[in-house]
Amino acid sequence: MHDGVFFEDHGIPTATIISTEFARAAKAQAEALGATGYRTVMVQHPIQPLTRDEVRALADKVFDEVLARVTA
Amino acid sequence: MVTQLETDPIEALYERGVTDGLPVVPPTRERVERAVEASGRAGDELVALVPPNYGRATVEKIAVNAVMAGCRPEYLPVVLAAVEAVCDEAFDLHGVSATTNAPAPLIVVNGPIRRALDINCGAGLFGPGWRANATIGRALRLVCVNVGGARPGVVSMSTFAHPGRYTYCIGEHEEASPWDSLAVEHGFAPGDDTVALLAADAPITVYDQRSRTAPDVLATVAASMAVIEHHKMTHWGDTLLVFSPEHAAVVAGDGWSKDDVRRFLFERLQRPVHELVPGKNGGDGLPEHVLRKFADPEHDATPIPKFRAPQHIKILVAGGTAGRFSAVVPGWTFSKGSNLVMRRIR
Amino acid sequence: MTEYLDPTDSVAVPRKTATRPSSLDGKVVTLLDISKAKGDHLLDRLEELLRERAAPKAIVRKKKPTFARPAPDPLRDEIVGATDVLIEALAD
Repeated sequence: MHDGVFFEDHGIPTATIISTEFARAAKAQAEALGATGYRTVMVQHPIQPLTRDEVRALADKVFDEVLARVTA
Repeated sequence: MVTQLETDPIEALYERGVTDGLPVVPPTRERVERAVEASGRAGDELVALVPPNYGRATVEKIAVNAVMAGCRPEYLPVVLAAVEAVCDEAFDLHGVSATTNAPAPLIVVNGPIRRALDINCGAGLFGPGWRANATIGRALRLVCVNVGGARPGVVSMSTFAHPGRYTYCIGEHEEASPWDSLAVEHGFAPGDDTVALLAADAPITVYDQRSRTAPDVLATVAASMAVIEHHKMTHWGDTLLVFSPEHAAVVAGDGWSKDDVRRFLFERLQRPVHELVPGKNGGDGLPEHVLRKFADPEHDATPIPKFRAPQHIKILVAGGTAGRFSAVVPGWTFSKGSNLVMRRIR
Repeated sequence: MTEYLDPTDSVAVPRKTATRPSSLDGKVVTLLDISKAKGDHLLDRLEELLRERAAPKAIVRKKKPTFARPAPDPLRDEIVGATDVLIEALAD
């Protein structure tokens, strides 16, 4: 989260993609740093046991949301 | 007189969410000032920025947490050195506090201060009963949570953690060691007081009552080290091997130095590539970027070591003088991750 | 009641949120791999989709040395100086 908060703070629109299990940790960490409005893009946990194709399918699923997160 | 629960100081501190689940000593100004004074340093001196929040750990802020942990004022120099060590970039406290894995910072104390503060390095040293061990380790935990922001289940996402996250502090039993201490090996003088900090799993006890030679003891120890993290984990870093005085006497009695021990274990803890292929005898195994280096991993016999280098096996002697056991304390030390960090106590 | 000293330290400072462009057309997009396993597969596919469905001027791939630490300052500075938009993955 530190990176995402840093880049936003430095004027770079950022989409940070995390797995669903870390939603709370990401929010808490961003808030602790003072970034109360920071929003992430979430993909379904778990990731590590997935095959390459299964991970690629997640990209297809969230692409529109990623695009929306970095544009107005 | 009966104290109302709402005004009970212990309950008030629970209410603020600044404890580790056990009651804390109320950090009154008087208690904190005594601790700051014992350190001989200025209260507003910045000791470190504590990840993941990078909160400011001044001498006074650390003293507040040390008081809460139950430290006597004279323990503060040890706590300050420990905080400084975990906040060294090489320790990667950011990762240690956030990971789903289970590490807790283990403090190993060397030097005369062990005796001055009654830090247990003998029987039962990983367990309860000694105020210094119990409260110095706990003080570091409270600093990580209260100053660093590593709240369990909120930012600190360890799946299991382990009991060492309450407190994890031992001394080396230097008087019972046939070798140089961990500190002397790392370039400190025998009279120096030091802390060594390792992001560590819980100790794994190795039982070996009957070995009478160094190779026999070490064969048993190696088998327990082979399964650190998982049986196919490789490229591992700093890990602590704690010999009991009895085991150390057997190994050193054969004329073996600590370097001999490290070389033996490093050589023995290697497996051929074909035994490390993911999805064969367990889904995990060599990472893809390593596998790619071999044309036919399924049939490749190139040995891959468990540890990146022999010197990552850190050796000390501790524990009671009776008992033929060793303890392996795995580090959370994958490549580019955490490392053992040492500091002189001042 | 006796006053107790505060064991915590708040580091919250007001943080800005960057202004968004209306589209990625003609923009430099950096894909930052945090070095956790599988993140590269996700970013590979996102890169393909970006090329198919948006018209960025360039797509730059960067990688953190390790997911276990924040990006080192030189990498941060390099990215800030050379990109319009950042996509980072994958924390799990």
